[in-house]
Amino acid sequence: MNSPEDASGQQMDDFDFAILDRIRAIFEQVDPMPADLPERVRFSLALRGLETEVARLVTQEDPRLAGARGTEQSRTVTFDSDSLSIVIRIAGNKSGSVRIDGWLAPPQRREIEMQTSAETLHVYSDEEGRFAFGAVPQGAAQLVVRAAERDQSGRGPTVVTPTLVL
Amino acid sequence: MDDSRSVSAPPGRVDRNPRMAELLDAARSGSEDALGQITAELSPMLWHVARAAGLAADDAEDVVQTVWERLLSHLADIRVSQALVSWLVVTTKHEAWRIRSSGRRQLPADQEWLTALPDHAAGTEEQIVLDEQHRALWRAVGQLSAPCQELLRIVAFVPRPDYQSVSAALGMPVGSIGPTRGRCLEKIRVLLADESDGRRA
Repeated sequence: MNSPEDASGQQMDDFDFAILDRIRAIFEQVDPMPADLPERVRFSLALRGLETEVARLVTQEDPRLAGARGTEQSRTVTFDSDSLSIVIRIAGNKSGSVRIDGWLAPPQRREIEMQTSAETLHVYSDEEGRFAFGAVPQGAAQLVVRAAERDQSGRGPTVVTPTLVL
Repeated sequence: MDDSRSVSAPPGRVDRNPRMAELLDAARSGSEDALGQITAELSPMLWHVARAAGLAADDAEDVVQTVWERLLSHLADIRVSQALVSWLVVTTKHEAWRIRSSGRRQLPADQEWLTALPDHAAGTEEQIVLDEQHRALWRAVGQLSAPCQELLRIVAFVPRPDYQSVSAALGMPVGSIGPTRGRCLEKIRVLLADESDGRRA
């Protein structure tokens, strides 16, 4: 039928699809998903949509006023939402990317996402609310503060910032 | 930490699952109904991915919830439906792995599905033949390695247009034209052939 070294290189045929269909039917029978799970998912997603807070930009500190930190170009931006304040300091890296150091108030452990057009980066803030992204590509970016992993502190609503340009 | 969440489809590839692509578009522009249809359609897949990874039923339910919640914030990054399905599979595996590694290493007591193919009440002749085919297949599945069992269980629930992107995301071999038959599927064909030879002999 096929040479040994090529045993897994054949294209799938109808028999393969039939096998997979039957495997699916068997698993649906022996270990079905709880029938009400999709409804519960839908409910929690609807709830979560309502829970998301949009933070607003409060202050943007002009680097020229920020004072004497050598030649380092950095600026500090503050966002506020109902439940959270987010302060970030944006500094240029030599490579052309930027470094972000941030603080959450009140301090808490959360998952922090930096969404850029190229990729989405994830970090966690520590118990003091500090977090850092070492290298973020320049351009438009948006921060999303989510619940931390389960059993950790910081279960507040998701907070998204407006898009900022790094 | 393994970070495979920013899965995107290969550039320039057409969307093979137009209906799902349409739902995805609608969900992205805020349609709760479209999102509801996507979750209704693909939640079984997530459930079986989580259970195949060895999670207890209540953990598997939590994982399914978590993955859908995560998707909300990734909707903007996921441009075609193949990327959606492989993102869901990979994220579910990742979440399941995180839960399994955070404590319980033993298989939970409710992971006994492999032994449980219930007896069928006799039906039409057609049903009996089908039942016997299922049993033969089930015996063959039982003889596979655990990774092969997991893989086939996952792939069995993946929508057909998404085989290629999912098998790529899971590290299965993929040919240049279409999905190739992986080692696990090849193995099961051999086992099935052996079994029917054995019966004939």
